[in-house]
Amino acid sequence: MQELANLRVIELGRTAAAAFTGRFCADAGAEVVLVEPPDGHPLRHEGPFCGEEGIETSAVHLHVNAGKRSLTLDLPSQAGALRSLVEAADIFVTDFPTAHLAELGLASDDLRAAAPALVITQITPFGDTGPCRTYAGTNLTCLALGGQLKITGDPAREPLSNFGAQAEYQAGLSAFAGTVANVLLRDATGDGAYLDLSIQDVVATNLEHRGPALNLGLVANRAGLSVSATYGVYPCADGWVYLTAFAPALWDRLKSVVQLPELDEERFSTQAGRLANNDELQAILTGWTLGKTSDELRAFAQRGEPLTVTETPQRLLASEQWRGRGVAHEVDHPQAERIAVLGSPWLEEGADSPSPAPQLGEANGELLSKGRA
Amino acid sequence: MDWASGKLPLAGMRVIDWSLYWAGPYLSMTLHDLGAEVIKIESPGNWDPMRTVIDVNRYAGDKARPMTPQERSNVNQHYNEWNRGKLGLGVDLTDERGRQIVLDLAAQADVFVENHRPGAKAKLGIDYDDVAAVKPDIIYASISGFGQTEPERNAMALGAPVELASGLFSLNGYLHDETPAKTGFSYGDPVGALAALSAILLALRGRNKSGAGRYLDVAMRDALSFGIGAAFTDWSANGDVRSRRGNRHPVYAPQGVYRCAGDDEWVAISVRDNADWQALGAALGNPAWHGHPAFADAASRRLRHDQLDAQIESWTSQRSARDAESALQQAGVPAGAVLDFQQLGEDPQLAARGAFLEVEHPVFGKEVRASSQWARGEQPQQIDLPAPCFGQHNHELLSRLLGMDGDAIDLLERDGVVANEINAAAD
Repeated sequence: MQELANLRVIELGRTAAAAFTGRFCADAGAEVVLVEPPDGHPLRHEGPFCGEEGIETSAVHLHVNAGKRSLTLDLPSQAGALRSLVEAADIFVTDFPTAHLAELGLASDDLRAAAPALVITQITPFGDTGPCRTYAGTNLTCLALGGQLKITGDPAREPLSNFGAQAEYQAGLSAFAGTVANVLLRDATGDGAYLDLSIQDVVATNLEHRGPALNLGLVANRAGLSVSATYGVYPCADGWVYLTAFAPALWDRLKSVVQLPELDEERFSTQAGRLANNDELQAILTGWTLGKTSDELRAFAQRGEPLTVTETPQRLLASEQWRGRGVAHEVDHPQAERIAVLGSPWLEEGADSPSPAPQLGEANGELLSKGRA
Repeated sequence: MDWASGKLPLAGMRVIDWSLYWAGPYLSMTLHDLGAEVIKIESPGNWDPMRTVIDVNRYAGDKARPMTPQERSNVNQHYNEWNRGKLGLGVDLTDERGRQIVLDLAAQADVFVENHRPGAKAKLGIDYDDVAAVKPDIIYASISGFGQTEPERNAMALGAPVELASGLFSLNGYLHDETPAKTGFSYGDPVGALAALSAILLALRGRNKSGAGRYLDVAMRDALSFGIGAAFTDWSANGDVRSRRGNRHPVYAPQGVYRCAGDDEWVAISVRDNADWQALGAALGNPAWHGHPAFADAASRRLRHDQLDAQIESWTSQRSARDAESALQQAGVPAGAVLDFQQLGEDPQLAARGAFLEVEHPVFGKEVRASSQWARGEQPQQIDLPAPCFGQHNHELLSRLLGMDGDAIDLLERDGVVANEINAAAD
């Protein structure tokens, strides 16, 4: 969906939060200029690398910066050029803290005065108001303070971060939606806007079970792999499978798949009974799942039975479902060679592949020449 | 965006929310936050299961009390969390008159949201083609586990199981552990909802330009996989299965979640660079081990990460998580206490940002609800409406939007086409 075509985005960031927002903008057709320090965006230095380790080959850079242009600026000495670019742009996405932006002459109040139609999106660990607004934060500390860490992992061990930079991903996604919302408002009114997004806040308000917790006193802890025997992960012969059978109709379907007479016992006839006899039920179902391979279980799943099989990146890339949907694109990159780059989740079938992530500073000549900057 | 004056991007728009559980309802709630009127469609025999599938009394402890099925269906704090701000219509979709009501409302709507299985939509005749026939420029968004395409269009996956199918589950886990791990309770839902929201907002911008509506097919799996897209790129180039990395970071060292004084109390700490490392030393009172040249740079700290973890934990375990966080933050080190749900509700930063606000629900009473993530700082949001009771707005909607008079609505109610109670026999 090229609905942001003809808009220019300036992205000034250090983490995946702004980088994801910028990536979504690029996929939606905007020209996204990634402003980098002379030695490259920090994510260019994060492994693993695709092929030779270097400034162009970090996997996370190749993913989150696909479709963007790269401009290197030595800040603060080139802050004036940056400010000119930002004022002339349509959207400014940043995950720099306010104090740092102010040093560069990019404080939101100043920018709004100079460029009233600019849509400004700032993503920071705590937001720009409140007692902790100047605190430092990372993906991990935002997961902690947003409540997601407490409920992930083994209850007998320390809380566990999930893979990747998921607090920053949630924030990048939320910031993109908020940015497009502000673009719609600008389309209607001509006015720019300032979005002050807090990563902690996004994590905390995205959490399920918070409603019962804050209103009924539900205490939730890490549940490991299983919520209950009728909603949780089971081992199978060569992997893992999730069974979803907490509602009566789902339970009946699961029984028809599993076909074990024990499941017809009176004690398992209601969901209350299944919860009361959770461990015995789990043992029976584990006996069944361990006897099945992922392929056998996947066949049940594809016909709509209430179970879900574990997939790995390698298997998904080769899957018929993804090939049909055009989720992954093959992209040729000068250093990394042929790589897979996923498209935004709403890209339609047959959409153009994103252009590869930019070479460091590839747009310097054009963007810093007279008349553009 | 300004909630006080109503200067919101979707002001004047109408959304039909025919969705259930979490991703779809969350998505349509955000559309209300952006200014739209959202009408939640449920059937008396087939309501949003979130009303009843999780018995809130299970968690309520001494607040547990006997409830009628009707009361139970209106106080569920899962349902009420993700449906605030909506108007509720109870209508039997298996009756042709009920179906026609939904289509008549859709003819006056801008966006239609649903997360039913392909077979259910076709059987009831409320597919994209049915709605587009009465409202050609509708934005019709389907959210599902895997998408509406073959061969997996009939596979079901809610927000928790879909994580297994996304690749994320297989990559999660403790350091070098063989066992994968699951995120929280149901991580696919909020991620899928925000992805679908983005798609809808883009499609609305497209409609503003071209006048054309469109069909949107958003899979929660695709949204989760995109968040770990680097792992797919890595695999395509290198073909390696990487060891699980737990709470560690590819660049920051040390980074971890450390035990604090008290039961199940923890603090997360990240040392991003050498400046953070010096600041950590200062916060810990510059212990002798900190100055050892073996820890001078991130690469050497990574080599001796276990050793460092033990030293850091010997400090954190002597204090509360909040005290550890505070001492480290004063020195400039990223640190955060691991908060539980109750602590989220009391967190001074979230409170100052207005993340949780109160609203009065007609049956439950005072409820705490999260406000919009985009309403912070200058223009705070007021929560205008709680979640609807089942069928709460039947009369208002049918008279205001479809011009029905009281007699016509009474007739529909008598015939069970319109209802303000769930059919408890199906509970």
